Amino acid sequence: MDFSFLQDDLTYLLWGTFPEGPPGGALLTLLLSAGSGLASALLGLAFGVLLVMLRGPALAALTTALGFLRAIPVLMLIFWTYFLLPILFGVDVPGVLSVMAALALVGGAYLGHGVAAGIRGVGAGQWQAGLALGFTRWGALRHLVLPQALRMMLPSFINQWVTLIKDSSLAYIVGVPELSFLATQVNARVMVHPAEIFLFIGAIYFVFCGGLDLLVYLLNRRPRRA
Amino acid sequence: MDSSLISTFLADGFLAPKYLGWLLDGWLMTLWASLLVVLASTLLGMAFAAARESGRAPLAHAAGVYVALFRNTPLLVQLFFWYFGVPALLPEGVLAWLNGTHALAVGSTELLRWPSFEFLSAIVGLVAYSTAYVGEDIRSGLRGVPASQRIAATALGFTPLQALRYVVLPQALRIAMPPLLGQYMNILKNTSLGMAIGLMELSYRARQAEAETWKTFQVYGVATLLYIVAIAALEVLAHGLQRRNARRSR
Repeated sequence: MDFSFLQDDLTYLLWGTFPEGPPGGALLTLLLSAGSGLASALLGLAFGVLLVMLRGPALAALTTALGFLRAIPVLMLIFWTYFLLPILFGVDVPGVLSVMAALALVGGAYLGHGVAAGIRGVGAGQWQAGLALGFTRWGALRHLVLPQALRMMLPSFINQWVTLIKDSSLAYIVGVPELSFLATQVNARVMVHPAEIFLFIGAIYFVFCGGLDLLVYLLNRRPRRA
Repeated sequence: MDSSLISTFLADGFLAPKYLGWLLDGWLMTLWASLLVVLASTLLGMAFAAARESGRAPLAHAAGVYVALFRNTPLLVQLFFWYFGVPALLPEGVLAWLNGTHALAVGSTELLRWPSFEFLSAIVGLVAYSTAYVGEDIRSGLRGVPASQRIAATALGFTPLQALRYVVLPQALRIAMPPLLGQYMNILKNTSLGMAIGLMELSYRARQAEAETWKTFQVYGVATLLYIVAIAALEVLAHGLQRRNARRSR
């Protein structure tokens, strides 16, 4: 094992040419994951609430749309956003943003069902108590049900973020200079130590994802307040 | 939808049969690769689950480390490692053999041909990654089988291995079926990452056809549809199995 490529390329892999140039490498991976993580949490919350509150054709339409997002590979969705967003908005959309949009949509679709299940899991008694106290359906949701549901669901949100960090590597395919893309670049230049390069890259991802994984473990172990 | 989108779509016309053929070829490769990965990761996953539940600390520990490593790194990086990294670690002779052409033939008719290195590394990478997920689902299935079942089997004179094979595993697989089918759908979708290392599956073929025709909308439309058909077929299968199970356990 020869990790001498790190002498020249460590900072390039970690943050690209930043601060002279735009952020890249592991830094861009984190930014990309954080951006799509936040957006997917908001989307997931909105989808989940709508899945519980909507009725009839609107519910069927949303279920179909979410099913579609879950049925196609993330890679395909990235191709779609990369190609469609500029046409729809008539402006040049940077690759990072189109990847973020794709990841947010997929993450939101998965979280949406989780949020809906969490809301349903809170129990009819809480709803009835809220309505009896004079809350509207939305009021009871906002002030009684959702806070309880979200506390239960925190681990699944974090799990979804682990998936997001891993999926952010797919940005490679449209040439976004995040960690995986820079790794292939460095690999093509160094040529002689491919195993070491990809082991090192794997280790960086492992630190990010393993850290979140550990957090879920600790959250689950902590005795939950009722 | 934007009306200008629809009009470009119509003005462009549909894809020539040649490119539809590419996409169909790619789809078949996606299905074939998925099938291989599903079979291999299920078999390995059973061994893996057995190791984690074996009660032997070193074995269970090693399996735990495997799960953590393979689930907390991106599949894409793992595939790059198998495709670019492993050849650099293998001895020269082994590599030449893996890259060479070998065929199993009877007379002049070829029965089996040695696959390309792209195919090999994609399948190995996908199996190694998927086993970490499939194995964990089988394991939670194993845990769902009451301990009394194994004890009863032992009392009836089954060896531990026989008890696992004939009593515990069939029940565990039935419990694990819904999450497993979800994993199989993930495997099918994950084969798309094979395009990054030259596996000529559906996404690879779509990109290739798009580069040649510039009919982005049509190419990705057809490819997306083909993925949805495959996933929908799995979904129908899952519903059928679940209904059968529900009837049986009643």
